[in-house]
This record gives sequence, structure tokens and C-alpha cells, in this order.
Amino acid sequence: MPILGEFALWISLPVAVWGMVLGFAGGRSQRGDLVLSAERSIYAVFGLLAIAAAGVSAAFLGDRFEYWYVASYSNANLELFYKVTGLWAGQRGSLLFWALLLALFSSICVLTNRNRHREFMPYVAGVLQGILLFFIVVLLFADVNPFERLDFIPADGQGLNPQLQNYWMTIHPPTLYLGFTAFTIPFAFAVAALLNGRLDARWIQLTRRWILISWLFLSVGIVFGMRWAYEELGWGGYWFWDPVENASLLPWLTATAFLHSIQIQENRGMLKVWNMSLVLMTFLLTIFATFLTRSGLIESVHSFAQELKIAYIFLSFMGTVLAACVLLIVYRLPELRSENQIESFLSRESAFLFNNLLLLGAAFSVMWGTLFPLISEGITGQQISVGPPFFNKVNLPIGIVLLALVGIGPVIAWRRATKKNLQKNFTAPVAVGVATGVVLWVLGARHELALVTWSISAFVLTIISTEFWKGTRARARIEGEGYLLAFFHLVTRNRRRWGGYMVHVGFVMVCIAFAGAAYNTDSRFNVQPGDVVEVASPFGHAYQLTYEGLSMSIGRGQRNLLWQAIATVSVAQDGDPKGILTTEKRQYTNRDSQPMTEVGIRSIVREDLYLILSALNDTNGALNNEPGAQGIDLQVLIKPLVGWIWIGTFLLAIGTVIALWPSVDRRRMAAPSEGGGVEAAPAGAD
Amino acid sequence: MITLYLGVSLVAAAVVLFIMQPVVKGIHASLEREDDELTETEARKRVALLALRDVEYDFLAGKLDEEDYRSLKADLTAEALAALEADEAAKAGLGAEAGDAALEAEIAMIRSGLREGVACPDCAYTNVSGSRFCSACGQALGELAAS
Amino acid sequence: MKKNPRFMVGLVGVAAVVTYLIWTGVSETMVYYVTPVELIEKVEADPTFHDVGVKVGGMVIRGSYRRVEGELLHVFTVRDLVEESATFVVEFRDALPDTFTDDIEVVLEGRLREDGVFEATTLLTKCGSRYEAAPEDLAGAPPHPTNAP
Repeated sequence: MPILGEFALWISLPVAVWGMVLGFAGGRSQRGDLVLSAERSIYAVFGLLAIAAAGVSAAFLGDRFEYWYVASYSNANLELFYKVTGLWAGQRGSLLFWALLLALFSSICVLTNRNRHREFMPYVAGVLQGILLFFIVVLLFADVNPFERLDFIPADGQGLNPQLQNYWMTIHPPTLYLGFTAFTIPFAFAVAALLNGRLDARWIQLTRRWILISWLFLSVGIVFGMRWAYEELGWGGYWFWDPVENASLLPWLTATAFLHSIQIQENRGMLKVWNMSLVLMTFLLTIFATFLTRSGLIESVHSFAQELKIAYIFLSFMGTVLAACVLLIVYRLPELRSENQIESFLSRESAFLFNNLLLLGAAFSVMWGTLFPLISEGITGQQISVGPPFFNKVNLPIGIVLLALVGIGPVIAWRRATKKNLQKNFTAPVAVGVATGVVLWVLGARHELALVTWSISAFVLTIISTEFWKGTRARARIEGEGYLLAFFHLVTRNRRRWGGYMVHVGFVMVCIAFAGAAYNTDSRFNVQPGDVVEVASPFGHAYQLTYEGLSMSIGRGQRNLLWQAIATVSVAQDGDPKGILTTEKRQYTNRDSQPMTEVGIRSIVREDLYLILSALNDTNGALNNEPGAQGIDLQVLIKPLVGWIWIGTFLLAIGTVIALWPSVDRRRMAAPSEGGGVEAAPAGAD
Repeated sequence: MITLYLGVSLVAAAVVLFIMQPVVKGIHASLEREDDELTETEARKRVALLALRDVEYDFLAGKLDEEDYRSLKADLTAEALAALEADEAAKAGLGAEAGDAALEAEIAMIRSGLREGVACPDCAYTNVSGSRFCSACGQALGELAAS
Repeated sequence: MKKNPRFMVGLVGVAAVVTYLIWTGVSETMVYYVTPVELIEKVEADPTFHDVGVKVGGMVIRGSYRRVEGELLHVFTVRDLVEESATFVVEFRDALPDTFTDDIEVVLEGRLREDGVFEATTLLTKCGSRYEAAPEDLAGAPPHPTNAP
């Protein structure tokens, strides 16, 4: 089976070439037979890549260690779940997986549009096939073939790093990849628009759902990564401004900007060149992220040496795409003129533009900070790096202003808003915001940035809930519905608007959570069984933690596990018993390292209580069950509001799904509704 | 070994047949614009009506004051009418099914609705003049009906 | 296309503020990223460099690690990746990452004291090239050829 997969990968190469050429040729010459062949090539490439991916999975499941990739990321004892998901455990398989997902989305796109948007589709097929071709070429010719075999058959594989054996870490790459690859579709439509001259908002309307789907997966994927880091890296942190994290954040920032600026093009016919540039930039950043994440490019001192070949290939591809698109845009500049102008500084267009500037500013700073070591080395010969202090210093102020804009955007009118009206609409929310700040101050909060963030959050939440309230109340009155039903109907009637509001509420919650980090506490103790330690929470109460003892388990439990030391701690809050937390050290056989730490987390809405078994006083003594060898170093962290990240993200996801959901509303014949145009038919994959 | 080569050849053959069939046999994918696809003029019409709807909504929600509302509405109504007419002309020029009676009636309704000012701010359904609530979505029409 | 002047002011203003933030951000938080060889050379050339915070990448020498009893203090020796003779002792007063072990590549932030010991405030480990195995390290590999005829 793996060999069949390998052959399938090779076969996909000429098919992709054929499909790409015919897509463009068919579009240019308007020959339906060529176009059909090109579309079928996309289905064929998907099928072939599926066979290839199945081949890799079969190699994992069959413990075929003669394959270097399998030997590097698996061993005989590895749990089945991680063998199945081994496909994306490392660089090579990830690239194949990426290509597979792109082929899947391309097939869906081509299939659902086989009778629609025909002036776009041939070029869309050509572009998608071209990108697929690039990935196939990389897999086959850049020393990253997952089917590469060793000269011998190892007795066993290396196994998977235990820190990666975690649910979140397994779903985090696929989710992100779904986001990256889904964004290729809008990009393909943008290029098709440049080629066929339909440069109004049509290409945007057609791909609105794809943009939202991509953004959804990107957002959720990034948060899954944060959750993994929070649980597994054992320091209680969820974001480190690590180059790999930054690489996935960049396209998210530009995609968010894009989501907003396309509304300006749809409504007012402006920013056409800007949108073209943004979609191109976001696409290039997704490619950049794919490449950066799995290569060692940024990480080490003087590191260029490591993966040179693939670096050149990716950079050439990005350079070529950039050059080609810029040429196309310049060629089409006359048709990309704005139909209108910004009429007023105080308008929704203006707010959205500031939003874009801020997001792009943040993206630029993240890019700059991430690449700085390479740039400085190139210029001065000396590598200089900047770390979290830099990223926080620049992005926190930007984030706070963006947060304020989230409140301003919904309330400000298109074209121009009068100061009088702004006063009318903002007075109450601003008052609530200021009041919140004052109340928090009185309650003892003194951290400036956190106070500002929470005040602005209150401002934004007031505005959004007022919108929901006014809408629901009006509807309830008219239809005589109960408020719950009215709310439901309100949202479903205009999913784009209300789904969008919900997304913003989720985002605000995440911001509130981030500000909570200003009040993290960190205490360390060395305890013997029976000891009780007290840790105070910023919220005023205190936890009493009783270290009950250590239980050792040898050679049991998960596979590859040599031994486990489980520390049990009973938790009481202000004297009231709340349950038990455990934190562990686990020694795995396949890694020549220290034992891994598994933390214990107790989450309530207000805060997380985070326990870390930092060290055993006497590991050998504990393993031999010697009395008195049960002392441990226990680290206790209190992380206020962390739960709001996950809750907020969940709301954000729900809001996006609502905004995405197609509506079948035949009454809207006369005028535009949510992305449905004048079509009476179901809005489908519009 | 044999099964492997057989399998590979089968897959390769299937793929080639699948892809080449259209070219060899002259089967064509449709390249025509479908009926409900928006043309440039239709797109412009859509944008104009959308803008009108937003102005109504913003006014009802208190984001615009009376003065701005009236002047913006006047501008936008003129634009919308122009867009409607341009679209009609394009369709007549194409000699397409735009001559369809139903479509004409629809346009006439919108036009009269715009002139009388009872397009619903929320769903833009054109209501009978004098309505207080939109028949399609229930939104209060308020001051509109009175104008 | 005439543009609202107040708008342009706002636009330029935002761009200016962001640029300013980046500029000061970099200059206030940047650290040199050096190898042990470079660090040793720098402090020899300029003794005031002892007070400069730097980031250093090196490798933990096998068997050099010990934990000081009674304190949260870890001591080990780090060598240059290329020049094995360039080494210094490191003191680190925080929890070790789980992946810390002999022969591992580490990235330290801190400063090289006058007494030649590096005081590390941050310690990160890097597991080779992202967990990927060299074929020679796998079980069952044939022995490396030495003087093949």
C-alpha cells in the first residue's frame, strides 16, 4: 500500500501540469472541453493525493520503519491514535497533508461551481492546480519525500515526542492547515478576476464563505495551539511570540483586515487595489507559515545552513507569485479605480480603514520582530533578537485601540456620521466603560493596561448588547413573540450582522482574558506529605492546598511509559473543600531526557488554579518506596480569567458559523440581502 | 509485485481516461453565464439598493439625524433609480428575457416604493404605501410610512 | 480624487505611531544573539560587555549537570556548537524545562559575569532539528563505515 501511495504521488505530477495548463488555456480560448478536462484533473489529483496519504498512514499502521518518516515519528509501542495521525507529525507528511487538504477544497469548489460562475472557474482551476503542482514538486524533489526509504530496516522507530502526544497538539496542525488551504480559494478567485476583468465585488461575494471558513479554522487552530502550550509546556503560559506561533498569527491578522475591508468594497466600491493586495499578502503568508513552521529556519543561531534547498524553493515560489500578481494588478489598475471616496473621517469606512491599518501595523511588527535576527545578521553580521518584551510593547497598544474600534464600528454610520449622533450613541457606553474602570480601581486593581482593557471591553460589550437588545425588543413587540424566539429570528434573518456581533463578543472576552494575565501569581513550595500551603487569589479568596502524597506506578499506564509519579493535592477554597488535583512526572522510554511534567489544572470561570510538580526531592527513593522520600517541589500558579479565552473562542466560532450559514429566503427577491444577490435559489456556496 | 504493478497501471489508466475523455470526445463544460448570475449593472443596482437599506436602518437605529438622513436618502434614491434604469437598458439591449412581465412588475414596484419611501430598512421588501410594519420581516417602518 | 485632509492626518498618524512603537520596541528590547565563542571574545575585547544582556546558543556538556542541594539552583557547563573548547559554566535559578538533558542544544538569556560564570535568566532547549532523527541514530542501523577500502 505505501508503494502504491508513492506511485500515486508521482502520477499526480503530470496530471497537475496538465490540469494547470488546460485551466488557463481553456479559460483564454473559451473551450469547454479543455475546461472540463482541467476540472477533472483536479478531482484526479485529489484522488491520487488521497491514495498517497493513505499510503503514508498504512506505513505507520504497519510499523514500516524502513520509511525514514515513520521511523522518526513512531515506534511499535505507540498508541494507535498517534500512528493514525502520524501523517502530520512532521514536515514531510505535513506537506503532503497540506496538499491533500488543498486538493479536497479545490475539488469541492470546482464541483459546487460546475454550473455557476463560469467566467471565473477555468482560471480558478488553473490557479489551484498550479499551487498543487508546487507542493507536489516540493514533495518529490526537495528532499522531503515522505516515502523516502532507508538502506536498512530499523528494529524500531524513534517514537513520538511525549509532549506531542496530546489531544490538542494533534488537532492543532490540521485545523490550522484547514485555515491556510481554505484561503487559497479566495486567492484563486482574485487572480481569476484579474485575468477575466470582472473586478467589481463579484469575486468577493463568491468567496465570502470560503474567507469566513478559512478565518474560522485559522482562529480556532491558533487557539488550539494555545491550549496545547498551556497544558503541555508546563509553564502556565499560552503565547510566547515564538517564530512558529508568529508565523500562524500573520495570515490571521491580514485575513481579519481583509474580512473588514471587503465590506467596504461591497458597499462602496472602494479599496479594490487594497483588497487585491491583501488577499495576495494573506495567501503568501499562509505559504510562508507552512514553510516556516516545519523548517528550522528562524530558530537557531547562524541557522541558514539547515534546510537550504527547501528555503530556496519556497522563497522562489513566493517571489514568483508575488511578481506575477503585482504585474497583473498593475495591468488592471484602470479597472481597479475606486467608485467612491471616503466622505468623512467619522464614518464606518473610516473606522474599518483604521482597523486595517492597525492590523497591518501589528502584522508588520510581528514580521519584523520574527525576522529581525536574520535581517540584522544579513546587514551587520551579528544576529540580534527581540523577544516577548518587544512584541508586547508594540502590540498591546495596538490591540487596545483595535478593541475600542470593535465598539465604534457597529454604531457609526456608513458614509458620514454626525457628531451629534455619535454623542447620542456613545454617551451611555462610555459612561459604563469609565464606571467599570472606577469600580475596578476601587476594588484594588491598579495595573494600568489591564484597567484600560477592561474599561474598553465594558464599553464595547455595552454597545453590542444594546444592539441585540433593541433589535430583539422591536421584533418581539411586532411579532408578539417571546424574547427568546424574537432573538432567534432576529439573528437568523440577518446572519451576517448578528453572527458578526457574536464574533466580536467572543473576541472581547478573549481580550478580557489576556488582561487577566497582569494578575498572575506564582508561588513555590517544597512540601512533605501532610503539609498545607496557602495561596491567595487576586480575587480576594485563598486556596488551602494539602499535599496528600506521592504515588508511583511503574511500567503501567500508557505505552512507552517507564514510570509515573503522581502527586495528589486536596484543594480547599477559604476552608471549603473543593476536590482533588493531581500533577505528575512521567518518564518515557524513548526519550533520553528528564521526566515530562503533567500539570494539574482546576478551572473555574474566574481563574485557573495551576499546579506543577516541579521536581521530586528524591526520585530513586520514591521509586523504591522509601519512607521520607516523598517530598516534592510544588509550584502553584493562579491564572485569572484564563477560562475566558476558551469560552470567548467558542462564541467566536459560533458567531462565525452563524455568519456563514446559507439562508434560503425566497421573499428577498427585490433587493440585496446577505450575500444572496437577486438569486431566488438557495444561496449555497456563495 | 505483479499485483502492485497491476494496481498502479489500473490507477494510472483510470486517471488518464478520466482526464482525457473531454478532449478526445469533445465533451464540454458549460461556460455560459447562468440565469441568476449578476451582471455588472445588476451588481451596481444591488449595491445602490443595499446602500439605501443601510441608510434607512441607520436612521431608524438613531445613528443618523433627520437632516443627514434626508439628504443622503435623496442622493441614494437618485443613484438607485439610475442604476435600475441602466440595468433595464442593459437587459433590453441584450434582448434577454428581461422583457419578462414579472421582472418589469418587480422593477416598477421598487421604483414606486423608492418614490414613496416604503422600502423596509431591514429586508428592503417593498411595502404597500402607508404600512407601519414590513410585511416580509416585521420591522417597524415608523417615520417612513409617514413621509 | 480629493481626500479628506483630516483623514490623511489620521492615517499618517497611525502609521507614525506604529513605526515609533516598533523603533523604540526594538531598541529597548533587542539582545545580541551570539555563540559562546563570540561571547567570550566580546567580553575579552570589551570588559563592560559583562553587564550586557545577551542570548547565547550552545550545547550542554554531557555529565556536567548538577543540582545544588537546598536551593533552586541548577549548574551545568555549556560549550560552543562548533568550537568544543569554548565553554563556560551556567547558573540557572528557575525550573528546568522537561526536555533538558545531556548533549542538548540550549538557548540562554542572561549575562556573562566577571568570574566567567553565565547567569541565565531564561533557558530554552532545542531538540536538534525539530525532533527529527538522523538515520544513524535509529535502532538497528549498520555501524558507520570507517576506513572503507
